[in-house]
Amino acid sequence: MSERIFGGVLLLISIAGIWIARAFEAPFSYEPVGPRAFPMLILALLGICAVMLMLEKKSEATWPPAVVLQHIGALFLIVLVYAWLFDKLGFILATVLMVVPIARFFSGSWKQAVAGGVGLGVGLFILFDKLLDVALPTGLWLNNILG
Amino acid sequence: MDSTFALLMQGFAVAGTPENLMIALIGCFLGTIVGLLPGLGPINGVAILLPIAFAMKLPPESALILLCAVYAGCEYGGRISAILLNVPGDAGAVMTTLDGYPMARKGLAGPALSISAVASFVGAMVATLGIVLFAPILAEWAIAFGPAEYFVLMVLALCCLGGLVGDSLPKALIACLIGLLLSTVGIDSNSGVYRFTFEALHLQDGIPFIVIVIGLFAVSELMLMLQHARSGTEPMAITGRLMFNMKEFMLAKWTMLRCSLAGFFIGVLPGAGATIASAMCYASERRMAGKDSDFGKGDVRGVAAPEAANNASANGSLVPMLTLGVPGSGTTAVMMGALTLYNITPGPTLFQEQPAIVWGLIASLFIANVMLLALNIPLIRVFVKFLSIPNWLLVPGVAAISMVGVYAVHGNTFDLVLGTVIGGIGYILRVMNFPIAPFILGFVLGDMMEQNLRRALSISDGEIGVLFGSPIAIGLWVVAIAMLIGPRLMKMREKHGEEAVV
Repeated sequence: MSERIFGGVLLLISIAGIWIARAFEAPFSYEPVGPRAFPMLILALLGICAVMLMLEKKSEATWPPAVVLQHIGALFLIVLVYAWLFDKLGFILATVLMVVPIARFFSGSWKQAVAGGVGLGVGLFILFDKLLDVALPTGLWLNNILG
Repeated sequence: MDSTFALLMQGFAVAGTPENLMIALIGCFLGTIVGLLPGLGPINGVAILLPIAFAMKLPPESALILLCAVYAGCEYGGRISAILLNVPGDAGAVMTTLDGYPMARKGLAGPALSISAVASFVGAMVATLGIVLFAPILAEWAIAFGPAEYFVLMVLALCCLGGLVGDSLPKALIACLIGLLLSTVGIDSNSGVYRFTFEALHLQDGIPFIVIVIGLFAVSELMLMLQHARSGTEPMAITGRLMFNMKEFMLAKWTMLRCSLAGFFIGVLPGAGATIASAMCYASERRMAGKDSDFGKGDVRGVAAPEAANNASANGSLVPMLTLGVPGSGTTAVMMGALTLYNITPGPTLFQEQPAIVWGLIASLFIANVMLLALNIPLIRVFVKFLSIPNWLLVPGVAAISMVGVYAVHGNTFDLVLGTVIGGIGYILRVMNFPIAPFILGFVLGDMMEQNLRRALSISDGEIGVLFGSPIAIGLWVVAIAMLIGPRLMKMREKHGEEAVV
């Protein structure tokens, strides 16, 4: 079933894409194939494959049980928020906030989660920023305090 | 031949500087660890370390040496968890569990690990010699390719991968096509037209390669790890002798050599890879050994065969990437992306224009494998310790390191958010059994494909016939179609035959 739905979504994407790609025209052109042909070709093939997917008989996707799926969704959101706060909170604080809940999902105790969070946040900051010269954000709030 | 030798020596001079030796050693160590952790394989290891190498401003040859050492190390690491945990550390080690774990249960974990380390070494060495012998010839031949032939060659690479990987043809093709489609995002370099940028400033230069790679191979992997969270199985303890004895070695020596050769050639073919090579070699060795062998119950040959084959094929798959600029597997596609980050375009001309890089890389494979053999036999107990890293520390650690890599390259959080979203989509695709390797190959090849197509049609003034104009092009089309349909037709006929017998 999920394959059917996904195939339908892909078909819509390919139709919408072709509609968008119609506008890809070079103001002046000295080559026979412009910027439009390749995306159009890909999108058309994608549409055909989407139909093939929908017509395929076997359906194999086995989704994990709802509880696990909720955890996975939460994991995704945590990483997303982590990505968004990465430079706003600074690497260390953002990492601590990301590690603690994820460690809990993987059945670490509260103590382990907090220790892991602080350890990873501080340890990786020292490793990358100080030792390997890969600059990491310290965070706006810290900059404000430090002036 | 003489000049090849001189060039190889030049390569050793590049790879043999103290700095690069150190980098190779670190890469080998990290690679083995990444390889032995179930869930993380060579592609994740290379994907996560690539941006970090780039951000550390390593020169291109050192970065490549690091990535190659990691790649080689992963192939060694996969066997450790296969033998001790019965869980393959990477896809190539699936077959190693069949005889490796039974050996460990019999108290022969030490010999199983040491014979498989030697088999890995033999496989990798044979394949690296194969690269030295065949790559320059192939590169010379490919120099005659025009844009039309190149376009068809890339179609062939995608068809091979699409035909062999995964269980459904539409799914494999969709994965290719999504990758190709995403590669068109951004300003078209020929005409300056904005394509699929949706007015977002950050999308003007296209979706950065690293963002795609981290999303698909790190973020979605974390989500899958939560799905497959295993209840803590304890690794088997290594008791008794560490080394195999003479009798075991004599039993396995021809197996190693045969599987190394077969693995190399399977690896060179685009699409087939370590998984297929190890499965085929295991099956044929088992057949050759006859009925009264111990295959499946802990035969040394059953450990040696897949390990020799998967290391040989992993190295063999570097051949099309280096010589044609057309990678044939997911991991080599990521490595090629690494080269393009440094503005190096792999392909036949690479051998003439950048001999230091090509031969440095080849020499580093020799060096890395010697290091890996030296690390893997005496230090095996050290590596085994890493098997007990708990997931509650490993998973958030991988998440943080991945984000560090992406952030270090472009320094904005838009990329991080985009990578996470791509990872979420990647997770959905992977649960639905979409293969990911064609996706990344499509993304890496997309721009080159389009450019070659447009160049070919410019030369012919829009005449489509140019794509079928030369014997090479026609041959490539035929092989492409055969590779796309052939494997599945054979599978279907096999199934049909079985049903008829029943």
